[in-house]
Amino acid sequence: MPYPELFTWWAATITWSIVFLTLISIYLYIDSAKRRKQAGQKGQGAGKLVRDFAFVWVLLGLLLLYIVTIDQNSATMFAVGNIVVEILLLIYLWMNKSQTSG
Amino acid sequence: MSDQGATMKRRDYWSMDQSEVCKALGTSKDGLSEQEAQNRLDIYGYNELPREAFSGIRIFLRQFNNPIFVILAAAAIVAGFFAEVNQSIAIVTMIGLSVTLGFFNEYRAEKTVQDLRRNVSVKAVVTRSGKVSDVDARLVVPGDLVSLYAGDIVPADMRILEVKDMHLDESTLTGESFPVEKSASPLTLERATPQQLTNYLFMGTVVAHGTGKGLVISTGKNTEFGSISKTLARPHPETEFQIGIRKYGNLLVTLTLFLAVGIFGLNWLVGHPIVDSFLFSLAIAIGLVPELMPAIVTITLSQGAKNMAASRVVVKRLVSIEDFGNMDVLCTDKTGTMTEGNVALDSYRSLDDIDEPKVLCYALLCNSAVVGERIIGNPMDSAIWRHAIDNGEKDLVNPYVVLDVIPFDYERRMMSVVAEKNGDMILISKGAPESVLVRCSRREVRGESEPIAPVLESVKERVSDYSKAGYRVLAIAYRSVEKRTSYSIDEETDLTLLGFLTFTDPPKKDARQAIDKLKEMGVSSKILTGDNELVSVKVCQDIDVPVKRVVTGADLMTMNSNEIRVAVEEATIFARITPEQKLEIIKALKGNGHIVGFMGDGVNDAPALYEADVGISVDSAVDVSKDAADIVLLEKNLLVVSKGIEEGRRIFGNTIKYILMGTSSNFGNMFSAAFASVFLPFLPMLPMQILFMNLLYDVANFTLPTDNVDEEYTQRPKRWDIDFVKKYTLFFGPFSSLYDFLTYGIMLFVFAAPPALFRSGWFVESFWTEVLVIFVIRTRRIPFFTSRPGKWLTALTISCVVFGTIVPFTPLGSFLGFTPLPGEYWILLALMVATYLLLVDAGKVFFFKICKF
Repeated sequence: MPYPELFTWWAATITWSIVFLTLISIYLYIDSAKRRKQAGQKGQGAGKLVRDFAFVWVLLGLLLLYIVTIDQNSATMFAVGNIVVEILLLIYLWMNKSQTSG
Repeated sequence: MSDQGATMKRRDYWSMDQSEVCKALGTSKDGLSEQEAQNRLDIYGYNELPREAFSGIRIFLRQFNNPIFVILAAAAIVAGFFAEVNQSIAIVTMIGLSVTLGFFNEYRAEKTVQDLRRNVSVKAVVTRSGKVSDVDARLVVPGDLVSLYAGDIVPADMRILEVKDMHLDESTLTGESFPVEKSASPLTLERATPQQLTNYLFMGTVVAHGTGKGLVISTGKNTEFGSISKTLARPHPETEFQIGIRKYGNLLVTLTLFLAVGIFGLNWLVGHPIVDSFLFSLAIAIGLVPELMPAIVTITLSQGAKNMAASRVVVKRLVSIEDFGNMDVLCTDKTGTMTEGNVALDSYRSLDDIDEPKVLCYALLCNSAVVGERIIGNPMDSAIWRHAIDNGEKDLVNPYVVLDVIPFDYERRMMSVVAEKNGDMILISKGAPESVLVRCSRREVRGESEPIAPVLESVKERVSDYSKAGYRVLAIAYRSVEKRTSYSIDEETDLTLLGFLTFTDPPKKDARQAIDKLKEMGVSSKILTGDNELVSVKVCQDIDVPVKRVVTGADLMTMNSNEIRVAVEEATIFARITPEQKLEIIKALKGNGHIVGFMGDGVNDAPALYEADVGISVDSAVDVSKDAADIVLLEKNLLVVSKGIEEGRRIFGNTIKYILMGTSSNFGNMFSAAFASVFLPFLPMLPMQILFMNLLYDVANFTLPTDNVDEEYTQRPKRWDIDFVKKYTLFFGPFSSLYDFLTYGIMLFVFAAPPALFRSGWFVESFWTEVLVIFVIRTRRIPFFTSRPGKWLTALTISCVVFGTIVPFTPLGSFLGFTPLPGEYWILLALMVATYLLLVDAGKVFFFKICKF
């Protein structure tokens, strides 16, 4: 592998950016839940929570895909993984299309 | 024409009597002839102030008055000094291109606005060759005889010839907050200050009440106002939009400052050359600052102003457009919005309920309308004259000579005249029934005068019945007076009630539709009227507009501030209110957190127009109202207002898109560049490459103002929410950084890229993600499928992406330090960018589910 001394650093930065995004999502979710509670609205169930965080699960999957494929230096695995994720995201977006139009 | 506006020969007009003034100005009491007026216009020029003229050079020079320009110039000098000639040339080229781009767009925007402003003109009532007519105030020349009425803005400096109870608000000129009484008498002064010249009227001051005539002595820049106009401009308070933009700018400047200083320090510490570190941190700072924001905002606003003009809405103050779109309460008067605004005299009843010519005759005498080729005056006085002319009854006034006028004012709500017939002097009063009735001790029935007290209640009941039937009512009363040289309001007592005038103003057919449309758009309408509550409620019933609560001026006077704040939320009609109470209502609504629009056209509406977040007037309004307004409608119609609101929301939407773009992908890119610079053995991108990318990104954004805005976005008013922008940045920024880091990995570990290849790969990825993400961010819907971007935005964005893609293969790319990329990279890049855009779209679903805006 070229630049082997940089791989750990690179893996750390990409991991950190995904962890950061996940933490921000959790923070925004908690903030929103607090405001809902203050407004007297009902809390959300665990199932809903899992669904709402769908894109975070995708992010974590991508992290795994990117680190493994770059480590293996496999362009094919990278391409296939991306296509699978894109299909999953398209399905997710199509299922949520009513929520993005208002 | 050699001089823009002028004075005749400078003389002490204040010390002359009227005939001397006429002689000195080469005119007479019939005014100038049209031919002479035209000659003087050729000599003295237009009566307009030399306001900051539209100048291409000024716009060009303004492009350099920008901190970014200073930073770039400093960077060019530093690079040149350290023999980085390529970098220096590249930076100077960036400066040239940025200035050219900014210049052409701002030039076009300012030209549009200037053309639009010409649609709103101030008129002056001028007598020429004995004929009274309205002329554009720009065409007034020295020697013109001008009549002035309450609410008029004085069009030029004048020497008063006739005056009746005339008080001028001269605060714009002298700072004096109380109206100043004027007279026509000569003054014996050696030298005089404007405050001492009580027989002068000064350009730009406002007739608070009373009437008068004057001869123009100076026009344009030779007036008192013209000589000091630059120091008199009253600053408008910042709009909510301006405050939001300022807060956003402060946030970015703080972030940029910390980041730039941190990057420079860290790069230097890890051993990068100091010049490279300096230029790199400067480039990152430039990349972060939305230097195009002022241009984008100006272009968006001017484009919107142009679109609004097509809906007959003229924007006088560009920055008010966003608040126009975001207002959630519209306060309006009744005439012309709820009603057709065509006031017609319906009857002129005696107290035994028959049409009595004497009532009409007295109403014609006690009348402020000016009858010339057209009838100029308030709607009710004009309606009386129109009726008399149409029915051949105008000769009723022939036996009378009007000797004196006690003008209308909003406190008395009435006016009076003193007329003579065959040596008998009679004072005639006309006004709001409640104002006239309290001054009556007798009534006239079939020519006989009787005490009014026994029937006062039934008379009041009759007025109430008229109002309930939707009529506007004026009472007519009179008394005999002694012959004197002048009369005052003290004479308006012990009157004999003669009868009533009733007026119709048909309800507007589309008023209900307009109110419903505004309601759909989240704007609640409130009626603020000087009319009584019964007429107002009847009008609302006629057009089927629900009335929740009616608050009168008298009610407001008994309320404390907390009660007023509740009342303004609940009530839909505020009747019989004074100008001060209009102001109080608007302040209370603003205090309750609303963005308030106020629509008015009367002299008493000017303070409220100024106080409201958005002051809306109409082209037929009195000068002072048009002057105070931010928006002028060429047609008084609430449906026109709703179209304007829609446009305002579209503009706000497109401005927000630019801001959200800048805070997501752009910010993320610069952040990852800064991060990488510390750990990589070389700079991830050269400063001139960052600047080039920044410039290309700016070009791609120029058509953003023309983008489509989703229908649901214009359905509700929006507010500036800096907290939302912060959350947006925190959430969407890292997506872009994530894909930058991924590109680093691919370039380093898959392609074993040397610095030039690494930079080329990252440039293309960074540019693609930065620019293409607009299609995701511009809508909450699914991009392209359920929300189509504007065609110009699509065309320019795609063109920029294509250009950015081929740059590494061109001589320009070589000059910038790029190198051609391998074919395999493009496949990986396409897959990566597709995943990125879909991931951001999925993030959008999550984000908007929990963060409302």
